[in-house]
Amino acid sequence: MSTTEHTPAGLTERIVPRDLTRSADSALSRRIEQCKAEGRPALVGYLPAGYPTVEESAAAAVALGRNGADIIEIGIPYSDPVMDGPVIQAATTQALANGFRVEDAFTVVRAVAEQTDAVPVVMTYWNPVLQAGVDEFARRLKDAGGAGIITPDLIPDEATEWFAASEEHGLDRIFLVAPSTTRERMDMTVSAASGFVYAVSVMGVTGTRDQVSSAAEDVVARARGAGAERVCVGLGVSSREHVLEIGAYADGVIVGTALVRALGEGGPQAVGELAAHLAGRD
Amino acid sequence: MTQQHTGTVLDRIIEGVREDLETRKASVSLQDVRRAAAEQTPALDAESALRGSDPASVQVIAEVKRSSPSKGALAAIEDPAQLAAAYERGGASVISVLTEQRRFGGSLADLDAVRRAVGIPVLRKDFVVEEYQVWEARAHGADIVLLIVAALDDATLRELLELTHHLGMHALVETHTEEEIDRAVAVGARIIGVNTRNLKTLDVDVDMFGQLAERLPREAVIVAESGVLGEEQIRLYAGHGANAVLTGEVLVRAEDPAQTIGRFREVGAMSRAEYLAGATPTAAQEELAAAQVSGEASARDAESLRHAPGPYFGDFGGRWMPESLVAALDELTETFDKARTDETFQDEFQRLSREYSGRPSLLTEAERFGAELGVRVFLKREDLNHTGSHKINNVLGQALLARRMGKTRLIAETGAGQHGVATATAAALFGMECCVYMGEEDTRRQALNVARMRLLGAEVVAVKNGSRTLKDAINEALRDWVASVETTHYLLGTAAGPHPFPAMVRYFHEQIGEEARAQILEQAGRLPDAVTACVGGGSNAIGIFHGFLDDESVQLYGNEAGGDGVQTGRHAATITLGRPGVLHGAKTFLMQDPDGQTVESHSISAGLDYPAVGPEHSYLHSIGRVNYEAVTDVQAMDAFRLLCRTEGILPAIESSHALAGAREVAARWVAELGPEEAAQKIIVVSLSGRGDKDVATAGEWFDLLPQDSHEERVAQKGEQL
Repeated sequence: MSTTEHTPAGLTERIVPRDLTRSADSALSRRIEQCKAEGRPALVGYLPAGYPTVEESAAAAVALGRNGADIIEIGIPYSDPVMDGPVIQAATTQALANGFRVEDAFTVVRAVAEQTDAVPVVMTYWNPVLQAGVDEFARRLKDAGGAGIITPDLIPDEATEWFAASEEHGLDRIFLVAPSTTRERMDMTVSAASGFVYAVSVMGVTGTRDQVSSAAEDVVARARGAGAERVCVGLGVSSREHVLEIGAYADGVIVGTALVRALGEGGPQAVGELAAHLAGRD
Repeated sequence: MTQQHTGTVLDRIIEGVREDLETRKASVSLQDVRRAAAEQTPALDAESALRGSDPASVQVIAEVKRSSPSKGALAAIEDPAQLAAAYERGGASVISVLTEQRRFGGSLADLDAVRRAVGIPVLRKDFVVEEYQVWEARAHGADIVLLIVAALDDATLRELLELTHHLGMHALVETHTEEEIDRAVAVGARIIGVNTRNLKTLDVDVDMFGQLAERLPREAVIVAESGVLGEEQIRLYAGHGANAVLTGEVLVRAEDPAQTIGRFREVGAMSRAEYLAGATPTAAQEELAAAQVSGEASARDAESLRHAPGPYFGDFGGRWMPESLVAALDELTETFDKARTDETFQDEFQRLSREYSGRPSLLTEAERFGAELGVRVFLKREDLNHTGSHKINNVLGQALLARRMGKTRLIAETGAGQHGVATATAAALFGMECCVYMGEEDTRRQALNVARMRLLGAEVVAVKNGSRTLKDAINEALRDWVASVETTHYLLGTAAGPHPFPAMVRYFHEQIGEEARAQILEQAGRLPDAVTACVGGGSNAIGIFHGFLDDESVQLYGNEAGGDGVQTGRHAATITLGRPGVLHGAKTFLMQDPDGQTVESHSISAGLDYPAVGPEHSYLHSIGRVNYEAVTDVQAMDAFRLLCRTEGILPAIESSHALAGAREVAARWVAELGPEEAAQKIIVVSLSGRGDKDVATAGEWFDLLPQDSHEERVAQKGEQL
């Protein structure tokens, strides 16, 4: 049963459909390529839909998009967020307590797509997608203007349905890789992903950290070695210094907890200000 | 059209085919055949039929075949239509009809008869060398034709395939070698057959399929042909990714072909699920080799439910986990796989079970309790294990694995505290650091167990987020593990979670069922009529069921926590009322709202207060082998008191659900069979833990605690939650 004895080719061939699209021509890919051409990392901002309310989360996401975020991850609040630290847990718990429904996420995605230049994607644990129906969820996301899904608890090994739905609806598959990812799995995951590969900078959950782990650079290098053309780094990023430091080796920098905290403390305006600071516009 | 000379038996066969073809062309012109083809109802979609709606399924092409060059006459098929209809009933996806006359005894009349009898796609199996035969196939209602790459040059193969598609049919493009596969792919074959029969020797080498399968394109429908003698070959082919298997000889000779097809589909689906989930093809080959050696034992194993290896149990199980943890799960899987065949590990585990836990645990006949129920009841006394429950079995096994992996820290979740206490115990015994996550509400309900864990040197973290019960403790343990995986083993306490946990936790509890089966045979002289066990995540239940899963006469009952009643919404009856979803790494039954948000569970028993269930239970439910029934708090507490008063045994409230479940089964028997016959019936109950930890809760429930006593205050706190 062990998957560790396989040759890299074996693992990839068994899991990843051969004819999978990894187009550099998606909205997401194009945006990152454009940032590369401008000589800067893409700024990727995360906010949970429905926190503190659907309207305010949409306003905050729009503020994020208008103040320098290239890509916006709209998070779907979930009852059991095992990859999230206390700040995001508290925010998503509040969103759920305020009556958040999965369909509200599409409202926020639509607001970003219609009112900003940023490219919206969804970040979600997999059960809400499964319950909506993978294909139906993908169809609705595409309708709302979404570009892809970041899947923190879906590995390519279980993604058969998602492969089909993402191809059908032209969505990007943003899988995560981590410092613990083996070479075989790195090859496999990179070949399954599209848009960009999400490099987890540390072994841990979301949350701001004073220093971004040195493991991040290694993960990015290994992802590139496996053929990844666009790699963004997340977990622990909170300051302009982090953005510059990570931007030196990655194609994009993902900020989550710091933005969620700003939203909680100062509303959409504070989100806009932090975004401008992170983007070096202040 | 040019004839491919193959230097094989094909050349002689095709000579005959051509002669017969000329005869038919003389009597029915191509024009007539084309007209007849145009008048046919459109062809059915054989490609979809062979791909199947579920990726983890294997389709059967069942063949009507009278004789073959390699075997001679196989069966006198008096009524091919009737045989085909039986195939369809059994779940065949396509019926193959041999129409070659000289060597295979087939005819177009057979094709016509089968076409009229079934509503699924029909394959014309012949040696197609000219377009006339393709038109002819369509004219006789075929939906798919066979094209043998070895018999055709590239140009002819391409023309015939294009005509086939033009007529709305599909072609099964048959290959024998890598070169032929490449040729099939080059002409655009969508359904590719791999025939494991060597055309030169006519010998079958089933292992060829695995070697050739690697060269097959993933998007094609892959059909394995030849060599099917029974379930082993189905498993081998499916284990290498076959979407479908073509089989004839074994079916025309079977007493009940429909049943044989059903079984093939079942075992095929299991192997294909393993293939999709990443089982090594070499492992499948080794398994086949071992099976061939052990002969009969393998036939038994193929049908056994007792040793399901994961990661999938039917549609359930898998690894729905963050990538960060996958390397650790792989390492654990590998360590476990090695340990189970390692004598040193086995000796150590058995020694600890015997000398530390006190195994084997007793099987006690509860005569007075049984008399109250009207049946004979035997209790499997896991309550007598060290630390007071079955949990110690799994904990010792996993702690040994953790030591082998060089981990120095154990973390665990706990609901009632039994698993936390067991883990803290093992950590003390092995000199490891230990941290136990427990929902804040549970730390109050089970305050004494919190103290026990701390006495044993463990850190106990009260989890304050979410519903503050077992599921949130698991979330928090997972968050710890993501950050600490290099030094830490997550000692999951139940047969749930991502692979390898469900199969591994069951493995360490299998001794419960194995002992119980031997003990009841010894003490009662026969197998029981029923076994009951409580199910939260379901580890004690899967352990005791393991012993009896293959004993068809033994009814198995899993008793879920019905809380205030399943109609109230305040319960933990996951299988009874939930639906499939993904939580904590496994696809399984869950209590969830329409958006897939986990719904909070409720039960007087902290150990059953979990909104999911182990994936193997979901599977056993889906195939109907185990009945899952909800038991309310009231029923459980009544059974709790009855056992105390009749047997002098104080059960855990969790285990009281199994006692109450037995009471329900007994009541049905008394009503249906009458008291005399019911009194002969035997139920084995898994008494998974002892009730010392529950004294405060039970004292409060029955109002037995002195007013204003410390215990009353503790219990009230718990009950008010």
